[in-house]
Amino acid sequence: MRIMFNRRHLIGAALAGVSMLATASAAFAVDVTIWCWDTNFNGAAMKEAAARYNAAHPDVNIIIDDSDTQDNIRQKLQTQLLAGTTEGLPDIVLIQDDQAKKYLLSFPGAFEPIGDTIDMTQFANYKVAAATVDGKSYSLPFDSGVVGFFYRSDYFSEAGFSDADLQNLTWDQLIEIGKTVKEKTGHELFGIDYNEVGWIRMMLNSAGQWYFNPDGTLNLVGNPTFKAALKVYQDIWTNGLAKPVSGWTDFTNSFTSGDVAGVPIGVWIVGTIKANAAADSGKWAVAPVPRLDVEGSINASNWGGSSWYVLASSPTDEKAAALDFLKTVWAGDVDFYQKILVGQGAVGTWLQAREGDAYKSSDEFFGGQPVWQNFSNWLAQVPDVDYGIFTSEVDSAISAQLPTIAQGGDLDAAIEAINAQATQATQ
Amino acid sequence: MASRVVVREHINGWLFIAPALILLGIFMIYPIIWSLWMSFQTGRGMNFSFGGLANIQRLFADTVFLRALGNTMIFLVVQVPIMIILALLFAVALNDTKLWGRSFFRTAIFLPCVTSLVAYAVLFKSMFSAEGVVNATLVGLGLDPVPWLTDPFWAKVLIIMAITWRWTGYNMIFYLAALQNVDRSIYEAARIDGVPPWARFLYITLPMLKPVILFTTVISTIGTLQLFDEPYNITQGGPSQATLTLSYYIYDLTFRFMPSFGYSATVSWVIVVLVGILTFVQFLVAREGRRA
Repeated sequence: MRIMFNRRHLIGAALAGVSMLATASAAFAVDVTIWCWDTNFNGAAMKEAAARYNAAHPDVNIIIDDSDTQDNIRQKLQTQLLAGTTEGLPDIVLIQDDQAKKYLLSFPGAFEPIGDTIDMTQFANYKVAAATVDGKSYSLPFDSGVVGFFYRSDYFSEAGFSDADLQNLTWDQLIEIGKTVKEKTGHELFGIDYNEVGWIRMMLNSAGQWYFNPDGTLNLVGNPTFKAALKVYQDIWTNGLAKPVSGWTDFTNSFTSGDVAGVPIGVWIVGTIKANAAADSGKWAVAPVPRLDVEGSINASNWGGSSWYVLASSPTDEKAAALDFLKTVWAGDVDFYQKILVGQGAVGTWLQAREGDAYKSSDEFFGGQPVWQNFSNWLAQVPDVDYGIFTSEVDSAISAQLPTIAQGGDLDAAIEAINAQATQATQ
Repeated sequence: MASRVVVREHINGWLFIAPALILLGIFMIYPIIWSLWMSFQTGRGMNFSFGGLANIQRLFADTVFLRALGNTMIFLVVQVPIMIILALLFAVALNDTKLWGRSFFRTAIFLPCVTSLVAYAVLFKSMFSAEGVVNATLVGLGLDPVPWLTDPFWAKVLIIMAITWRWTGYNMIFYLAALQNVDRSIYEAARIDGVPPWARFLYITLPMLKPVILFTTVISTIGTLQLFDEPYNITQGGPSQATLTLSYYIYDLTFRFMPSFGYSATVSWVIVVLVGILTFVQFLVAREGRRA
């Protein structure tokens, strides 16, 4: 019934064949192949980096494949690493931080310890920690997922709240404000997808916590921070402040269309907001993310972010070129980081990048706020967390309970159910 | 010596099918045997060790697996009969030579199964979103909007509607082809004897189509047991794992979670065993019917 010829794959294979012919003609140049997802963000940043590197090193041919989704890249990478064939793997690949340890531990020896070549103290500590195993660092840290609360200041001021009223709030305070906004303007606070666990993770991260204890065991039952995060999530729904959405596009549309009043999310969303809400320039603003009402939670957190990895299986000359490329541009070019900040809204985690001009500028789209300066300040405060190796498993266990929680279900029962599924899945 | 000719013919015959056999062996039979061996391995990522029946024990304690199995069974039990009956009705209706524009309707009903899976899934997702065309129509008719994508029950209904839309026409084509082979004089005789139309359908058309119905049921059962694309593209298996299927769970185990290839091979063998059992039952039922 579902037997079919996938024409896309055939065409893809044909194109790949043609492009291999084309690259083979540049006989003596070194080819460095890179896989990443998101053309407008990761792809654009990488292309800028390649152009800068090629200005001084025209003999290195940097091939960027940003046509695939993150899911597909994981799939291709994992299948090939398992099969043990290195043919067809890229030299550099982008991996999301919360997935890194899983790869490093599942495929020992597959990735090059970049920390041996590049000084890792130049990067934000939490990014390096996410890809360090047994004292070796395997990633060139890329973008930060430092969270800001992006909101429509026109809606909030219509409801009687100035930007000053939204600084350094707790989630409970924001929920109270949200009720007034809903009443006065008719707009819900957020659009939320039941499959999206990022909300819970962001709240945990603000308290320097994740799903696990330092020894890797689950830290869910009897964890007041976890329960507080679920309680906030529940309150957002039961107070009618969330609009149910489904899927990523639906989610981003909910705030870029002005349907809901805001979104607390990683800084990488800036590109999406600016591209899809261009008509509302000046009406947007950014405040620090709210904190949980528990000990240790602060008004700074992280949502997403990824880093570059070099495959250990690459031929020697390609590997050397790849490492030199990363070192020269990604760990050495302040101007490059200014360019991708302005162009893509990509906040790098190379600490010296913050000294550049772009980081000090204000942004008219956000009503003339010095947004980048704010984000770098928050970035410096983001608490370190250890993502461990079973993040996706616990994500799945939590998302199974989110609809019940949203409908006002008993939190302790939900936590027990999450714990039961997570325990089973993390054996 | 005639036997030498026979031997030569044998060799020729094997040589002719050798390319296909070798390819099948490398790309079908070898991976299948390999996956059976894998299903007894445990361990994370590349670190394998022989686990005996550990993976099978894990199946029974795994609530997500049991939920995925339950969902898949619900899809199977609800969707396949609906689709087969619809396809039959369409085929019989469109086989009527007096029907105006029947080639148009035939094409229209068949067309969904040649569309790209991803394209139609994206279209369904937007049509059935909270403020999509479907809900706008419902509201226009004075009804309440339905939370198609965000409610566990309605998400299942949506997936069933989507696969029914896509595959009904495909099954209909088989019935249409089979109906061409039914001798018209049988119907004529029945009409002269005064057999009413519903009885002609029940006692002539259905028995005549039985081999094709069996075939399409088996094919549809296999397809539904392997259901992946629609939940992946329309609902992401959610909300609350309400549309998580066995194939989707295998994907999660292999690509989203800490890769446990052994265990995901075990789950995929569950599908193989289920297909085997269900096909056997369907053949048995068909044979029983023939004897009676």
